[in-house]
Amino acid sequence: MIDIQDLCKFYTVGDERVRALDHATMHIYPHEFVSIIGPSGSGKSTLMNIIGCLDVADAGSYLLDGIPIEDYTDNELARIRNEKIGFVFQSFNLIAKMSAEENVELPLIYRGVGKAERQRRVAEALERVGLTKRAKHQPTELSGGQQQRVAIARALVTKPSLILADEPTGNLDSKTSAEIMGMFHALHEQGNTIVLITHDNDVARQARRIIHIRDGKLSEVSL
Amino acid sequence: MMTLRMALRSIGANKMRALLTMLGIIIGVVALVVLVSLVNGATSSVTNAVSSLGTDMLTVTISDDKGLPMDLETLAKWRDELGAVGLTAPSTTASVTGKYGSDSDSFTVYGTSEAYDDIAGLKLCMGRFLNSADVDSHTRVCVLSYKAATELIGYTDCVGEQVSLNGMKFTVIGVLSDSESITTSMRSSGYTAYIPYTSLMRLSDSVTEAVTSFVVSAAEGRSVDEVELVLTEKLMERLEQDDDAFSVSSMNIMEDAMSSITSMLSILLGGIAGISLVVGGIGIMNIMLVTVTERTREIGIRKAIGATHGAILRQFLTEAVVLCMLGCAIGIFLSWTILRMAAVIASGLSMSFTLNGPVVGIAVGFCILIGVVFGLYPANKAAKMKPIDALHYGG
Ligand SMILES: Nc1ncnc2c1ncn2[C@@H]1O[C@H](COP(=O)(O)OP(=O)(O)OP(=O)(O)O)[C@@H](O)[C@H]1O
Ligand SMILES: [Mg+2]
Repeated sequence: MIDIQDLCKFYTVGDERVRALDHATMHIYPHEFVSIIGPSGSGKSTLMNIIGCLDVADAGSYLLDGIPIEDYTDNELARIRNEKIGFVFQSFNLIAKMSAEENVELPLIYRGVGKAERQRRVAEALERVGLTKRAKHQPTELSGGQQQRVAIARALVTKPSLILADEPTGNLDSKTSAEIMGMFHALHEQGNTIVLITHDNDVARQARRIIHIRDGKLSEVSL
Repeated sequence: MMTLRMALRSIGANKMRALLTMLGIIIGVVALVVLVSLVNGATSSVTNAVSSLGTDMLTVTISDDKGLPMDLETLAKWRDELGAVGLTAPSTTASVTGKYGSDSDSFTVYGTSEAYDDIAGLKLCMGRFLNSADVDSHTRVCVLSYKAATELIGYTDCVGEQVSLNGMKFTVIGVLSDSESITTSMRSSGYTAYIPYTSLMRLSDSVTEAVTSFVVSAAEGRSVDEVELVLTEKLMERLEQDDDAFSVSSMNIMEDAMSSITSMLSILLGGIAGISLVVGGIGIMNIMLVTVTERTREIGIRKAIGATHGAILRQFLTEAVVLCMLGCAIGIFLSWTILRMAAVIASGLSMSFTLNGPVVGIAVGFCILIGVVFGLYPANKAAKMKPIDALHYGG
């Protein structure tokens, strides 16, 4: 479902040109659980942003479900993000002034889902992450692990074909990390496609397939 | 609906800032609504005073009768013939010296007939006005203005007193009431007396059978403009189609001048208030720019989960408009309070200060416009952000 061919991304800072992605090529198939691992600054987040249609590459091709991303307008990309991709970030990225429930509801509002249906799906998503009791809480009233679970619920609620997680356990202690990872396993078993980005070997090893990234170059290591 | 709730929430999250931001709009709205309402209240009471004093009166002056003098009979005939005309009365003035006892002063004397008080809207406080018998038999009777009675004679209850005008004795039969002062003082600052036209002919050599000046009122339900038209036509016919030979003037001119002054005043004040509203709008724009920058990350999150350009634009535009509308509502409420207070204070002046409906409408419309105009730039700035940059803003 993800087809990346010779993807390049450059950043120019001052006079220096940084190659964040250097002819990256990879394929991810439906229902896979893939982890991408690499040291800091290797281009992991850059790759994830491009996969997640938040950013576009400078060269190379990216087919999402067989359709080249370059052809879309910004608004069409917004729609694709809304319908096909669920994001989980390292820093949770919940909206501070809104309750857990409202954060989860937001993608459905942008999709134009009716109120009754929204409430049903929000309740369902919160139940899947075990936070039904915390539905009315604001992010500041929740622990890091709980916040990340709200973020996962928000990613799930639209039933996306791809869940993209950028170091979802990066800000959490090992026990909470294990909980969150357990959640990803459960999601995978339920048939979701998951791409998990990490610099932690233990986390990466839990995936079925590991892709290494170093200085923007990808290399696959099969187990 | 959803966007509206979101906008109210984010305004509510920062009440003090919202209030300070709205201050410009509030002041602008209060200035607009209160000033225009005050001007309207004040002028409507003055206009009422003017129009109650015979604005349906037309004054005709004939400067060249082409050998066909106008006499009292013709005047009466016109009254009966012309459907639009209500009443007619001669109205010739002369300056005379009035004497009462040992006091003397200059008088403006109107030589007229019994219909004059109705046409000019004069009201009496004592006695009666002239009647047709007075005119027919050129009796030496006069009606004095309030000022003439109180100042020359010394009291208003002076019916039956004898006043000498240019040496001729006249009996006072009536005194006008004080409220006539606006029109009379506009005509002349001195003393005024009304006597039968026929008596004036005896008093002044220059006044003859030929009436050179008369007043006309509109018939019940007819407009002054209509009468003016009919009268002009009739006079043109009579005076060999020479429109320089006569003039027809109405009190409407005064009313027109008045209303043009007020509308100019309203526009001027409205303009000043409009400027302060625009300044308020700039304040809104400023705070919206701050809000957008502060919430860059939120915008990034929203975009990441699928908010389109339009959705973000709508969100911030709604916030700006809601902010303006809240300011507007507070401003209107304050204006209402201020006007109520003004009404209480000015109750003795017989002026009515009420919230002027159209101005409130204009204020509301203007506030929406300002919200949209000054909200558009910040909202567009928010909507145009690249999701990736917004998401990583400030860490
Ligand atoms: N907006 C940017 N402007 C300039 N350079 C950037 C930008 N974003 C990333 N880079 C550079 O691109 C390279 C890859 O960055 P990236 O964020 O993808 O690394 P990462 O693997 O996610 O690192 P980490 O594990 O610390 O999150 C780095 O050298 C970084 O300095
Ligand atoms: Mg990163």
